[in-house]
Amino acid sequence: MSGALILHDLQQSEAEQFLPKDTAKYSLFAAAPAVRHCMGCFRCWFKTPGRCVIDDRAADFVALMSKHEELIFLSRLVFGGLSPDIKAVLDRSIGFVLPFFRKLNAETHHVPRFDISPLYKYIFYGPEITDREKETAKKLAVANALNLGSGRCFVSFFSSSREGMEALT
Amino acid sequence: MKAVIINGSPKAQDSASELIAAYLQARLAQAADCSVCHAARYSRDEIMRAFTGCNALIFVFPLYVDGIPSHLLRLLDEIQNSVADVASGAAVYCVVNNGFYEAHQNAVALELMGNFCVRSGLRWGQGLGVGAGGMIAAAPIGRGPLKNLGKALDALAENIRNNKTADNLFVKPNFPKFLYNAAAHMSFRAQARKYGLKTKQLYDKPRQ
Repeated sequence: MSGALILHDLQQSEAEQFLPKDTAKYSLFAAAPAVRHCMGCFRCWFKTPGRCVIDDRAADFVALMSKHEELIFLSRLVFGGLSPDIKAVLDRSIGFVLPFFRKLNAETHHVPRFDISPLYKYIFYGPEITDREKETAKKLAVANALNLGSGRCFVSFFSSSREGMEALT
Repeated sequence: MKAVIINGSPKAQDSASELIAAYLQARLAQAADCSVCHAARYSRDEIMRAFTGCNALIFVFPLYVDGIPSHLLRLLDEIQNSVADVASGAAVYCVVNNGFYEAHQNAVALELMGNFCVRSGLRWGQGLGVGAGGMIAAAPIGRGPLKNLGKALDALAENIRNNKTADNLFVKPNFPKFLYNAAAHMSFRAQARKYGLKTKQLYDKPRQ
């Protein structure tokens, strides 16, 4: 367990130029070009626990998540939520938690698969982000953090991806 | 009137969204030209053609990581600047179902859809949050454990027919939470057996 995992939706050239290069501190995972969408089979829970059965680079994302104490989503804000590229990776990663239920804050949530409680940081970027979208994004982060086995999240907004990346370092 | 129901489940068939879409289509059939599009199987152009001239766009999808499934989100992202050109003045209605008992866990996804409406210049009609999605295939909608779901979908269909805007509704299942959770856990164990796994193997940690 070490450092932070950055899941980002930047183009390769932008990522190479601006994302932190300190590999001891940060691991990077590019959501673009897009990985295949989840097909709703739930075999990541019941056939190959913790691993998506679609055999591409997103299949290892759960194992990668489990090795980091901080998860950073650097994402274009879309309707107050994550971008389609980032969401495609996360939809494929529900194996990070177990299918089983537990009660948390008087609500049902999934039981964690791993004995870790990562900090989830959301760095949203985009021009003309509205207050309404910001409010939705904050609620989404809280819900995600609970469902992904941790109550800890932090959300920030920037007008460009460049500014968001600068805030990382 | 013309309406399109978008089935936003990534599953090809046998999804809760498919059952809800079929129920709504039957309720709207007499008053509207109402078709169902499966977002995972139709291209963006096919869906835009289906949307052309619509008064109502009805999105039915499962909650994925507290939000919209990525394939549907991608479609919405791609059409946000053009959908109002083909469906000017259309209202958006939305039914989101999740696997947890509590329907209110769909509230954030309904907000995301509301924000899509603002961005695209469409009008928000009404949203329905449906909990205990695992039970939707267990009985006919409108009967027994799904009585409240039937009532809520009937009210939604009425609002769609009348082109009305209404407050979002969160549907309380007609069975207790402990029973739903117990049934869900039983089905998890059964699905593990189907793939030749023991329950304890579901806790395995993947290696990279």
